[in-house]
Amino acid sequence: MTDPLLEVDGLTVDYLTDAADVRAVNQVSFTVDPGEFLAIVGESGCGKSTLLFAVAQLLSPPGEIVAGKVIFRGHDMVRLGRGELQSMRWRDYSIVMQSAMNALNPMKSIGAQFKDTLEAHGNVSKADIGRRSTEVMELVGIDPAHLHSYPHQLSGGMRQRAMIAMALLFTPQLVIMDEPTSALDVVAQQSLMTKIKDLQQNLGFAVIFVTHDMSVVHRYSDRVLVMYAGQIAEAARTEEVFERPLHPYTRGLMSAFPSVRGPRRELIGIPGSPPDLARPPTGCLFHPRCPDVMPACLGREPELYPVGDAEVRCLLYAEQARKAS
Amino acid sequence: MAEERNPRTSSDPAASSGSEPVLRAADLTKHFRLGGMFSKQVLHAVDDLNITIAEREIVALVGESGSGKSTVARLLARIYTPTRGEIYYRGRPLRSLRSRKDLLWYRGEVAIVLQDPFSAFHPVFPISHGVMRNLALHRPELSGPERRREAERVCETVGLGPKMLDRYPYEMSGGERQRIGFAQALAVRPKLILADEPVSMLDVSIRVGVLNMMAGLRDQEGVSLLYITHDLASARYVADRIVVMYAGHMVEEGPTETVLSSPKHPYTQLLLSAAAEPSEKEAEIAADSGEPPRVINPSEGCRFRWRCPYAIEKCEQVTPRPTPIGATQVACHVAVAEAERASNPASVS
Amino acid sequence: MAIPDISVTDSITDVEATRAPRRFLRTVLGNRKAVVGAVILLVMAFVAAFPGLIAPDDPQAAIYAQNAGPSSAHLLGTTQLGQDVFSQLVWSTRLTLIVTLIVTAIATFLSTIIGVTSAYVGGITDRALTVFIDVFLILPVLPLLILLAAYLPPGVTSLVIVLCITSWAFQARQLRSQGLSIRNRDFLVAARARGERGIYIILVEIVPTMTSLIAASFLSLAVYVVGFAASLQFLGLGNSSELMWGTMLYNAQQASALEAGNAWWALSPGAAVAVLGTGFALLNYAFDEIGNPALRPVRRKRRDRSSA
Repeated sequence: MTDPLLEVDGLTVDYLTDAADVRAVNQVSFTVDPGEFLAIVGESGCGKSTLLFAVAQLLSPPGEIVAGKVIFRGHDMVRLGRGELQSMRWRDYSIVMQSAMNALNPMKSIGAQFKDTLEAHGNVSKADIGRRSTEVMELVGIDPAHLHSYPHQLSGGMRQRAMIAMALLFTPQLVIMDEPTSALDVVAQQSLMTKIKDLQQNLGFAVIFVTHDMSVVHRYSDRVLVMYAGQIAEAARTEEVFERPLHPYTRGLMSAFPSVRGPRRELIGIPGSPPDLARPPTGCLFHPRCPDVMPACLGREPELYPVGDAEVRCLLYAEQARKAS
Repeated sequence: MAEERNPRTSSDPAASSGSEPVLRAADLTKHFRLGGMFSKQVLHAVDDLNITIAEREIVALVGESGSGKSTVARLLARIYTPTRGEIYYRGRPLRSLRSRKDLLWYRGEVAIVLQDPFSAFHPVFPISHGVMRNLALHRPELSGPERRREAERVCETVGLGPKMLDRYPYEMSGGERQRIGFAQALAVRPKLILADEPVSMLDVSIRVGVLNMMAGLRDQEGVSLLYITHDLASARYVADRIVVMYAGHMVEEGPTETVLSSPKHPYTQLLLSAAAEPSEKEAEIAADSGEPPRVINPSEGCRFRWRCPYAIEKCEQVTPRPTPIGATQVACHVAVAEAERASNPASVS
Repeated sequence: MAIPDISVTDSITDVEATRAPRRFLRTVLGNRKAVVGAVILLVMAFVAAFPGLIAPDDPQAAIYAQNAGPSSAHLLGTTQLGQDVFSQLVWSTRLTLIVTLIVTAIATFLSTIIGVTSAYVGGITDRALTVFIDVFLILPVLPLLILLAAYLPPGVTSLVIVLCITSWAFQARQLRSQGLSIRNRDFLVAARARGERGIYIILVEIVPTMTSLIAASFLSLAVYVVGFAASLQFLGLGNSSELMWGTMLYNAQQASALEAGNAWWALSPGAAVAVLGTGFALLNYAFDEIGNPALRPVRRKRRDRSSA
């Protein structure tokens, strides 16, 4: 039984604003094993991006981690000082953002940005810089001649690949990705995902992948965390989530995708909208929209109950879990 | 298990044949000059597009970014004027609309719903502003209280309570705002609504609700819709016919099921294989990493040829024109040749 | 199939009274610069409205001792002609403030209309208007003044005309830039698609979204106008018998007040100009901060970590 690579325990993030304090991430715990592909799924406002930023220690005010630990390679990153964090950044873990145009410097060539990154995080000789830059470009399938190009000269798909190349410069053990394909068209999306999965299997790094696209999740991830209103609603192996979704929200999500190939049926989606976290509903945060709501759901906040290998935050399974324990 | 009839699509596709189509675009072309007034760079956003929309029909215009689909919407809404070609609304060419009165009449017949629910509304006024302005401009015969009642009626038609009208855009969710976008369009009592990627920026669980609402508009209000999207699955869900665009050209067109069950154009096939299915674990992965080109000063020939696994010499020389194959039209030399061979095994092509 | 009514569950926030005007007031009061600036302007406005309450002496009555220094009877001394300087200062507030506000209002109006129209209409009109704006931008003010001074009768009217001509162009460029940036926002495309007239779009759809920029323009222009009006009058464009701070400066200069012993006669109008300008400037900074939260001073709330 290998030790997990990353262990997040009770992570809680608040946004402290003048109007109200909003709990964007509420007691989230999960682990990531070496080489594992973990998908974090949810819709807008569920807190998945905030969670990602918190794990990567990139939160800035008014967002603040108010509780919990993020243990990576034996260190609790929440408590680490800037210097220690800096030495881990990019070498042990790296980040790919949603939009390359926001993350890449439009005034510098790709090669110059790789050079900056390599120099910022390590003592690398000039020859090594050239060699490594060419290597990562080839890894992601871009002609190394583009090291001289500027971001705006590349297409959207190529820019995203360049971002991934940059994230792999030090072959980190963990790569965190925030919806890297959402700005791309369908065909480019698919080829990028294939490439990411390829690289992951060849180089052996773990991936935390945040997305709202369930189909990407199914094809490429090992485990799934479904988030709703800042909490984990369901956590399970990917196969299980798709074959037997437990949480009513997950079931609603699954049935909200029209299919291109299967039989045509009428879909319902999930009525209503995610809650305003400044004024959350009582009891279970999902109850106003839940098709299986019970009277207990209005008053009692469900915990994460184990159901086999999975965990579900739903009172429907409270009895089951109690009996099993 | 017998294939279930999709209750979302119109039950009688034959009903509209024979009557005048609501909208017909003939050889519709739009070019933009890039750079200053003296630049020679011309962007071909749309070239020689022929498209028809019948009554009580939802037509999906499918393509990736750069395909020209948004330009088509703006041409049909008369926000842009065509470089060449003509648009006929119920037989009447749009060129004949000269005066402000004529144009205003047209805008009361064809309404557009835009993609971004977060910037499509005036930030300072309540959400009723657009609806009321539309009523003031296009239904001047209504009195003040009648207008308010009508605004409430269209609100309810799209599934929102009448109190929503007094809210401000920032107080509403994306799904609610998009529905108001449709309400605004409905207020003028259009025959055709042009919906430019209306659900792309919405959460997945909200999309279905809006798509169902669109189908309801066709069934109950008798409105035709042009649904512009890059998502084949949602196109399949609501549309009666599909038109696929690539780099400014129409490449394939026909009834939804026919096009999706047996796509003839290589680009349609590529799109279909790339359209991921939530329930599928594995799928044939198309070996393609290209993206649609920006078409600047193009030469003759098929614009898909660099990515096409079947390209032949003719593809470089002659621009393929849409040709009927069965119930669909396809702009591909190879597909047309194969179809001819299949129907005429004796002839040598 | 009926379209489901989702109005019940679809609302995200309870719409209470946290609407724009009330929030705005709360934000303004919470900002220190805004409060100080507002207080200055309110005091000035009060003084302008009720000068008699503060300085009951007739400012023009030349009945007192001449060139006297400050005393309890004359807080700022007297002029060369024996007029009470403090009275003059107080009574000049009204005309100074009125002129400032009129000029700023006219110039802001001109710059808004010209800038936004230029941005919205585009094409050749835009190019022509931009050239027009540029011409006024580079007008050399002083030579123009000297020219005009020869032809225009000295006084407030001429001052207003000259100031309006020379101060509208700068903000016009800014407002044009802003107009260009929002020109293709979807709600404006929607307005065109509805069939709205151009004038309607400019006045009703575009200008209201630029209120914060227009307010900022107004305030920063006011700072400029206050100072420049005084400068012009100091140089002699004003009518020395009109009661304004600038004319006080002129008169004091002509009478060599600094040497004659009542320095306050020369210094107090300048100080008043500075205070008024500061009031406008503070409000301007405050608006920037209110409009752009990134500029606000960071007040990190200390949270007890164990309370989560």
